[in-house]
Amino acid sequence: MQYQSQKVAMPYFIAAIGLFTGQILFGLIMGLQYVMGDFLFPAIPFNVARMVHTNLLIVWLLFGFMGAAYYMIPEETESELFSPKLALLMFWIFLVAGALTIVGYLLVPYAGLAQMTFNDLWPTMGREFLEQPLPTKLGIVVVALAFLFNISMTILKGRKTSIALVLLMGLWGLAVFFLFSFYNPSNLVLDKYFWWWTVHLWVEGVWELILGSLLAFVLIKVTGVDREIIEKWLYIIVAMTLITGIIGTGHHYYWIGTPEYWQWFGSVFSALEPIPFFMMTVFAFNMVNRRRREHPNKAATLWALGTGVMAFLGAGVWGFLHTLAPVNFYTHGTQITAAHGHMAFYGAYVMVVLTIISYAMPMMRGRAANSEKAQVMEMWAFWLMTVSIVFITLFLTAAGILQVWLQRVSETPLGFMATQDQVTLFYWLREISGVIFLIGLIVYIASFFVEGETKEAA
Amino acid sequence: MPTPSITLHNHKPGAPPGDLVIWLFIFAELLAFGIFFGAYAFSRSHHVELYNQSQLLLNRESGAINALVLITSSYFVVRAVAAIKQGFSRECANWIAGAIGLGGVFIVIKLLEFNAKFSAGISLSTNTFYMFYLSLTVFHFMHVILGMVILTAVMLKARRGGYTPEDHTGVETGASYWHMVDLVWIILFPLVYVIR
Amino acid sequence: MNHPPQPHFVRPCTRIWLVLVVLTAVTYSIGEAGLGGKNVMLFVLAITLIKSQMIASYFMGLRKTSPMWRIIMGSWLVIVGGMIASAYLMGLQ
Repeated sequence: MQYQSQKVAMPYFIAAIGLFTGQILFGLIMGLQYVMGDFLFPAIPFNVARMVHTNLLIVWLLFGFMGAAYYMIPEETESELFSPKLALLMFWIFLVAGALTIVGYLLVPYAGLAQMTFNDLWPTMGREFLEQPLPTKLGIVVVALAFLFNISMTILKGRKTSIALVLLMGLWGLAVFFLFSFYNPSNLVLDKYFWWWTVHLWVEGVWELILGSLLAFVLIKVTGVDREIIEKWLYIIVAMTLITGIIGTGHHYYWIGTPEYWQWFGSVFSALEPIPFFMMTVFAFNMVNRRRREHPNKAATLWALGTGVMAFLGAGVWGFLHTLAPVNFYTHGTQITAAHGHMAFYGAYVMVVLTIISYAMPMMRGRAANSEKAQVMEMWAFWLMTVSIVFITLFLTAAGILQVWLQRVSETPLGFMATQDQVTLFYWLREISGVIFLIGLIVYIASFFVEGETKEAA
Repeated sequence: MPTPSITLHNHKPGAPPGDLVIWLFIFAELLAFGIFFGAYAFSRSHHVELYNQSQLLLNRESGAINALVLITSSYFVVRAVAAIKQGFSRECANWIAGAIGLGGVFIVIKLLEFNAKFSAGISLSTNTFYMFYLSLTVFHFMHVILGMVILTAVMLKARRGGYTPEDHTGVETGASYWHMVDLVWIILFPLVYVIR
Repeated sequence: MNHPPQPHFVRPCTRIWLVLVVLTAVTYSIGEAGLGGKNVMLFVLAITLIKSQMIASYFMGLRKTSPMWRIIMGSWLVIVGGMIASAYLMGLQ
């Protein structure tokens, strides 16, 4: 760690891992509710568990991105953070607001929560992933603006590298597109139309820029490959992401009342969305093969390579599976979507945040890498979590195919719930994989507490 | 004689002219257009009558003139590369300026064409043919603009004498991209304006 | 390596440009004549692919590259041409 202010990343990373654990626990609760419908009813109904599961994911990834930015930007710009105090203050505001929101979800019925938080004055609630009450949404904007101010000022006074600029672009995009969560037209088609401007343009647009720059940063550090080469790759990945991702939004517009041409735009452009992900895989492996040094942090390298592969599989391959309009006609909103969602989020965003944590945490704790023993444990955690997410994806895909067949293709289609009964086996298998994922996560957390001989940070 | 600086551009023998990364980009772009062309062709096979009739209302002259404009502009860029290989920075910059000028001509002609279509009330939702006609040409149009931006950057650097016979990867990079823009129109024009 | 610029009467690239212009004029006249049908389509498509290959080989400079690059570009042209032709033939039925 070269700059004192990089250390503000630490609480962000710790909070991220903590919320990650919460997300997995609620995932397991919900997974069980798929097969035991009244589990924990009425304390935690399915819709609440789902809301907590997805909202925690988003919040902890945001913590991860912010922590990553606070860690990377001083090193990239070669100057201390504009204001570490502001960063720390925002951390606490964000954490308290996030915690209050989750507690609100769990303790107050959603409609009551809406009433308590002035939703009738400015209705923004009730939409998937954007369920947060108005004060939370406003809080997110304040935190994001303070964060962006802090990061932008640091970049303005320091060295301006491509990695820093791409990251900045991604983070600004993240903030700007979140503003669409405040726009809630009463026309349901328009509502969905703009809802995707937040949801899609985040995960298939600006977040990919963040992903690319985080990956590039870690690869420069662990491989020692020239910055020029890495930046060239980054530029091309960014360009392909934007070309395919922006118009690729159309693959969400198929059956919701938008003009027909979206079926063509969505199919053509989103069919190309795997390309930037594929480039990222080639990029990661290429750079590691051309490495000029053997970095002692093997675990971070493994996470970086894993991100490349799993992001391509989850976002690229599983996304492509159901992105073409004629296919999506059958698979829309089935377990296929859930399969894709799980692997894409884990492979792209969870893994890249864990990559930067894996690289940065030892540095912040005063060593170039963790002890051999801790790294072996971390790698065990890598494989446990990655393999179990692969199985979760496969079981959900199987469930989805069966669901499409029984419910939509068959000559004598079954109803939704009758179909759900037929795929119970896969839901059980998914739940078992989920438990293994949790074990992986526990091993991962435990690896932070393993002592042993370590090298001093360079 | 200037010592050739250590370049990072991996110029192995047998690699295409320009930066390797632009070629990845070019092929990704060609893939995108390829899929679009295929989609047009197969969708046409379901609505042959509609396509043949709608095609009659296109302005074939402007399409053909634009093909000539881009071909000539591409040729100018070839001359620019030839010039820099002999160390003529000024000449190189002038050829590129000519290519950019022709790009401007393309844009003006295209805008007139779009304007005529829009004032006739044609939009993406008119029918499938016009959906493809508009999206293909607009998508290509945006590539012309991007190509002009790249060429402008190259021209400014050439004007400052930033390229040498030993190191002119930048010129070749811009040139390769511009040829790709030309290549796409070479296929788009007959496909959409002529074949029936 | 100090050749003076070779005296060309007409540079090779200028000849390529001329051929491209002529072929474009042919394509345009076919359109103007309102010709259609399978054979015309194949003819126009053939001209188009020849033009494309000329741009790729001479303007983009692929003819001096290793086989991999020429194969990638060549197969792109073949696939695009093949799709256009087969879709056209499907439409005839």
